[in-house]
Amino acid sequence: MPSKKHLHIESSGQLCIYCGACVGVCPLNCVYLDETRITFDEKICTRCEICVKACPVGAIAIG
Amino acid sequence: MVENLTTDVLVVGAGPAGSMAAKWAAKSGARVLMIEKRQEIGSPVRCGEGMSKDWLKEVGIVPSQRWINVEVEGARIFSPSEKVLEINEKHAGNEVGYVVERDAFDKQLAIDAGNAGVDVLLKTAATGVIRENGKIVGVKAKRFGEPFEIRAPVTIGADGFESQFGRWAGLPTNLALKDMDSCLQYRMTNVDCDVRYCDFYLGSVAPGGYVWIFPKGEGLANVGIGVQLSQIHGTAEPKKYLDAWIAKHPAYSKGKTIDVVGGGVSIAPPLKQTVTDGVMLVGDAARMIDPLTGGGIANGCIAGKICGEVAAEAVREKTPTKEFFQKYEKGWRARLEEKLYRNWLAKEKLCSLSDATFDKVVDALEGVKLQKLSVHNILKAVHDKYPDVTREFESFL
Repeated sequence: MPSKKHLHIESSGQLCIYCGACVGVCPLNCVYLDETRITFDEKICTRCEICVKACPVGAIAIG
Repeated sequence: MVENLTTDVLVVGAGPAGSMAAKWAAKSGARVLMIEKRQEIGSPVRCGEGMSKDWLKEVGIVPSQRWINVEVEGARIFSPSEKVLEINEKHAGNEVGYVVERDAFDKQLAIDAGNAGVDVLLKTAATGVIRENGKIVGVKAKRFGEPFEIRAPVTIGADGFESQFGRWAGLPTNLALKDMDSCLQYRMTNVDCDVRYCDFYLGSVAPGGYVWIFPKGEGLANVGIGVQLSQIHGTAEPKKYLDAWIAKHPAYSKGKTIDVVGGGVSIAPPLKQTVTDGVMLVGDAARMIDPLTGGGIANGCIAGKICGEVAAEAVREKTPTKEFFQKYEKGWRARLEEKLYRNWLAKEKLCSLSDATFDKVVDALEGVKLQKLSVHNILKAVHDKYPDVTREFESFL
């Protein structure tokens, strides 16, 4: 079983502009924008990286 | 503890489409509750703030200096080599019009809704749907962090691009990568913009989208970009493209940024289904943004009025069913679907054009007085000068 890459969301206020693009593009509906915090459901996420590309400011990183 | 609520029509989202649906549902006699997850209506918004004006009267919006920043005379389209095509207001009146202050505009629409009898709750987010016998009868919500329930025979999903409500309701609103743009915008002061025009820069400077300059006043403009998701391969690309464009344009590189907004925009064909039992979707949540221009306010409001009226009728008739809501489907599609589909086809072609081809298109149109800004007229003019370019577009002619 391949090891899952870690999805790291830099939403501690440094990069995230709380625009919600990541929420809207996720094909599995597993990214959430709760007020000023982006979270995601690790159990559902398949690391497709669409949210990574969709973020206009590059606030989401996988690694 | 927050008490549970019941109403006739629940509107999720207090953007333009939501406020419009709420207002017209109330004016048609329904009890309406509109909820908004933000603490403030109208801010933040991800929007270039440019909009046409010929549709305002139809939905009961009175133009006001409180939210009109600039009334533009026309549009300028810049090719990759920056040849300019000027489109005069008379010819493009249906496409340009005002640059607005969305903050004040959205608040005014909410004020109109409130004055029509709509109840409004801020800092209230929908967190899920309530189903009974398989049908949606309301939403689970949180108000200032406290969970509670709102029940209503009709719920209108007006919760924007990142809409969750539609997906919870089982309506397929997911987008293909080529049907989305990721956008970033700086509101900048101390720039040399021309308050007479909205400017659009096409080509590889903004793959599958464009750079826009929408003037908000002397020396103040929204400077933004949209990039097609299928053409993005790395991270933060919209920002990279926008920063690179600004760096190459001294009129804007001297600007001071006073606001940064970003977001996703759908550039999709019309959805096959926007209703189900107890539910109607409207606006960006229903993928009603124009796929060619990225403009969603007009379509959201036009559909919003129809939605609100149908919602109130469904309450009166006690028939909040998918079958009854076909009245809404037919209504908004009659008004919007053909243009949405046609513009999506045009976008599909335009997103694949090379810079050289874009230059030819703008070159062919230079000096041509377009009777009316339409895809058909543009292609006809291009065909006369560069027939090889239009071979691909033959189905449009």
